[in-house]
Amino acid sequence: MKQLIKWSRANWLVWVIVIAYLLLAVTRTHVASTAALVALTTFRDLIVTLVVVFLIVGLFQVWVSEDFIVRHLGQDSGLKGLALGAGIGTVIHGPLVGVFPLLKTLLGKGARLGVVIAIVSTWAIKLPMIPLEIRLFGWKFTLLREGLLFASAFIMAPVMELALGKDWALPKAVDAVEPLATAPAATVQCTEPPEAAGDCA
Amino acid sequence: MSDWIMVGLGVAALGLSFAKDRGKTRTAVRVGLKQFVAMLPFFIAVFGVIGLLEVLLAPHQVQSLLGPQQGVLAPIYAALFGGLATGPPAAVFPLGRYLLGQHASIAAVATLLIAWVAVGTVSLPAEVRFFGARFAISRWALTMIVSVALGLLMGWIL
Repeated sequence: MKQLIKWSRANWLVWVIVIAYLLLAVTRTHVASTAALVALTTFRDLIVTLVVVFLIVGLFQVWVSEDFIVRHLGQDSGLKGLALGAGIGTVIHGPLVGVFPLLKTLLGKGARLGVVIAIVSTWAIKLPMIPLEIRLFGWKFTLLREGLLFASAFIMAPVMELALGKDWALPKAVDAVEPLATAPAATVQCTEPPEAAGDCA
Repeated sequence: MSDWIMVGLGVAALGLSFAKDRGKTRTAVRVGLKQFVAMLPFFIAVFGVIGLLEVLLAPHQVQSLLGPQQGVLAPIYAALFGGLATGPPAAVFPLGRYLLGQHASIAAVATLLIAWVAVGTVSLPAEVRFFGARFAISRWALTMIVSVALGLLMGWIL
């Protein structure tokens, strides 16, 4: 029972969704089944990608040394680090949720915040889909969009670093070993006053 | 299609790792799958949200909001819609092309293509869990603003 409460606190969205679907199923059964079908289709389309992403996350944790991260993506990595991050964002494929574990691992290993922001800034560039985009929108539209997005990484990274401040740190309790139990409490602490963020380190 | 590129990448990475060090590779697979299983309920819930949005937002309602006659408002609406109705990246390209054919403005479509993939409103709770609320909300807001700005810029250039 106690474990169920703990689990529910971390996975509250699961209950919200279950209740929403139940309500919809009672009032408009047909609509609810369509929604469920869309959800299942999306899940089927992405499950392979998700598994691969997590395998790569595992490989990252085993192979990428903190030394490498600090040297190439760390605090002093400058523009080169941002460019590398922006490049990484265009190559990795999948939904934004899928990359969070990887980004957290990078941050945990000492990567610069701006580099992580650069990775998500170029998330809307999908290297394998450029042929599709050119076919649908033409090369001018595609090149312009990709170029502007890549450039935006170099604006978003410093802005985010400025917005979060030097002493920003990851919420500590969200950890690979015990991801379910203490996460919400820790995040609440970190959000209160900006000056207190250092306490979360 | 891009699934296979992804699988190929994963298999290649695993193979390379395995050739170098079997023990490390086994640890990597175990660590990766363990995290995947821990996150799975949340992922499933996110897909549930996508399903609900799909049936509750009517396509023609969206279209009438995105025309060039809406000016600056069109990309703002597009960012809100794209940010909420997050889905597989491949799905938004045909949708954007279709909207362009329905006389949506270039700014709106360009914004939609970016916001759909990069904003991630439905995954915001997951992001808060991973990085904390300050990070998640700042990134969300900044991505929204940037997607509109880039959309307007593209509409102005093209």
